[in-house]
Amino acid sequence: MSGELLNKITLSIVEGRPDEAVDLTRQALADGLEPLTIIDEGLTAGMNIVGDKFQTGEYYLPHLIIAASGMQQAMELLEPELKARQQAAESAGVVVIGSVAGDIHEIGKSLVGTMMSASGFQVYDLGVDVSTEAFVAKVKETGADILGLSALLTTTMTVQRQVVRELEEAGIRDQVKVMIGGAPISQEWAETIAADGYAEDAVGAVELAKQMVA
Amino acid sequence: MTQIRINDVAYGGVQYARISPDQCQKIHNASLEILARTGARLYDQEAIDLLKKAGASVSEGNRVRIPAGLVEKAFSTVPKRVTLYDQNGEAAMFLEEGRCYYGTGSDCLHIVDHRTGERRDPVLQDVVEGMRVCDALQNIDFVMSMFLPTDVHEMVSDRYQMEAMLHNTTKPIVYVTNEFSGCVDAVEMAEVVAGGAEELKLRPFAACYINVTTGLQHNEEALQKLLFLAEKGLPALYIPVSIAGISGPITPAGSVALVNAGVLVGLVLSQLKREGAPFITSAMSGGSLDMKTMVSPYSEPDQRGVPHALAHHYNLPMFGLGGCSDSKLVDQQAAAEAALTMMAETLGGANLIHDLGYLESGLCGSLAQLVTCNEIAGWIEYNLAPVDVTDEALALDLIDREGPDGQFLDSDHTMTNFRKRWYPEVFDRGNYDQWQAEGGLSLGERAAARVEKILAEHQPQPLPEDVAKKIKAIVERAEKSFK
Repeated sequence: MSGELLNKITLSIVEGRPDEAVDLTRQALADGLEPLTIIDEGLTAGMNIVGDKFQTGEYYLPHLIIAASGMQQAMELLEPELKARQQAAESAGVVVIGSVAGDIHEIGKSLVGTMMSASGFQVYDLGVDVSTEAFVAKVKETGADILGLSALLTTTMTVQRQVVRELEEAGIRDQVKVMIGGAPISQEWAETIAADGYAEDAVGAVELAKQMVA
Repeated sequence: MTQIRINDVAYGGVQYARISPDQCQKIHNASLEILARTGARLYDQEAIDLLKKAGASVSEGNRVRIPAGLVEKAFSTVPKRVTLYDQNGEAAMFLEEGRCYYGTGSDCLHIVDHRTGERRDPVLQDVVEGMRVCDALQNIDFVMSMFLPTDVHEMVSDRYQMEAMLHNTTKPIVYVTNEFSGCVDAVEMAEVVAGGAEELKLRPFAACYINVTTGLQHNEEALQKLLFLAEKGLPALYIPVSIAGISGPITPAGSVALVNAGVLVGLVLSQLKREGAPFITSAMSGGSLDMKTMVSPYSEPDQRGVPHALAHHYNLPMFGLGGCSDSKLVDQQAAAEAALTMMAETLGGANLIHDLGYLESGLCGSLAQLVTCNEIAGWIEYNLAPVDVTDEALALDLIDREGPDGQFLDSDHTMTNFRKRWYPEVFDRGNYDQWQAEGGLSLGERAAARVEKILAEHQPQPLPEDVAKKIKAIVERAEKSFK
């Protein structure tokens, strides 16, 4: 019986029905299934299928986003249960992300955050126009593995370099991997400012993040 | 200079409309509803104050809801046509209903070098060469900087671009600047060339392309530039971009309604600042995100023609986007997309069709591709020319004189008329042996050779020495301020 319910959860993620994913997760908890089982054999199994379908070109971006949304909503239900059991979902790593000071472009950065959290990272999204000090403070506070810096404008991409320098000043540069993104950003720019990596899109960013924490 | 006219019945021009006048009105009404109900966020206090004083409501500090009456009032004062001059003070482009002109784009982050085929970072010399090629190509009517030079200080690259444009072509300029101060400097440079602020206002040869974050998010620099130019009485292109499916609805109608709401915010503000300020609207298709690649494509067919119809409906000058490609190199896809987008934008009646020579969805540019676009523009001009059906053109007497077995090669009629037809410069029409004898080159190779020939032979009209000095001083002043 429980196998059938977990299959249904997987399907609700794969076929993009977030409300159903939440209802089924609630039902699974009521049936006495372990939160970690629901995550591993239901939700994450679904996300893996969605990722494969995207890679092969069968799925488009909206499929990814709606699946990630279902996963996130179900996790909100599961997190208090995990806490109560003094368990934790296996975190791929801690990520702090935001658009740099002077840049109010939100969407690309949020997309990367969503995709990362759907891939098991614990994501702290600081929003847009984030001051350099706020980035540094949050990295210290969370002990983040990865810092993601977004800049859409050629005028704000230079702020990415400032953040990297501030991390050095604060003496925590070697504790965190810095990844950068945005329309004008390139691998070359990443090397110029001594960031640890660059990805062209959200899928690439998740791949890069996985490599960084491996 | 192209002489294209669309939807001009008196001229005999081609008629085209992607959507009907009733559909346009419906989209206009939707934009008015968005402005009144949802409102836009403005990041400039002067702009907020102007709108508030005029009757708009402000909440959350910077969220402005604009009543329809303010928009209608702005339409009663905004000029329905703008004339752009060349740098010698001659009228060059009549931005009015049905007139189409072609130009380049700005600020490409990469260049495909026509000499090597290599994709690399552009330098200032690429901007210089680009402008010299534009100056020589007869169907390039106006210029934008083409490339973002990486060998000058990044904060003042816009000043260097402006200087290179002024030095290397006399054609009208559409300039883009990083910050507000760059816009002020660009205007000052243009005033130096025109011989003063009044002269530039009377015969403007440069218009500012203002990037606005989205339809409902108006960044500070954009609003500052708009109000500054309105005050000066200089033309502004107010271009919000909401990427369909991301920062706006995925459907063409919803996407255009949202972006247009943003354009109307700019229109109202420009007219509040100064009634009669010249204003150019956007016919840029918002670009819907490609949901497979997450790239916002430049040559998609879905939206093209919709914002154009709306601009016709408004009878406002419009800025369109064509001659661009999503291809990474100067290849078959690049040629096909350039031709299709130029044709669609021209039929749509965009007055300023920019981005000729763009590749890689706006990230890369090529001078060889620009030469191909110049060729396409010639083809389009002749294809859309009115057809002469006078007795002289029908030539019935000649047909009868020659009879069923005659030939027309040696007739005066052929002699006087055959030159009126279009002849290509880089498209090849020879037979196989002729083509092979000339090296058996592809279009891309022939276009690259044409670029080299222009660079070797064409000398643009130089700026007077004292003017050049003053321009240089403005660039240097800006550079110092950022050190």
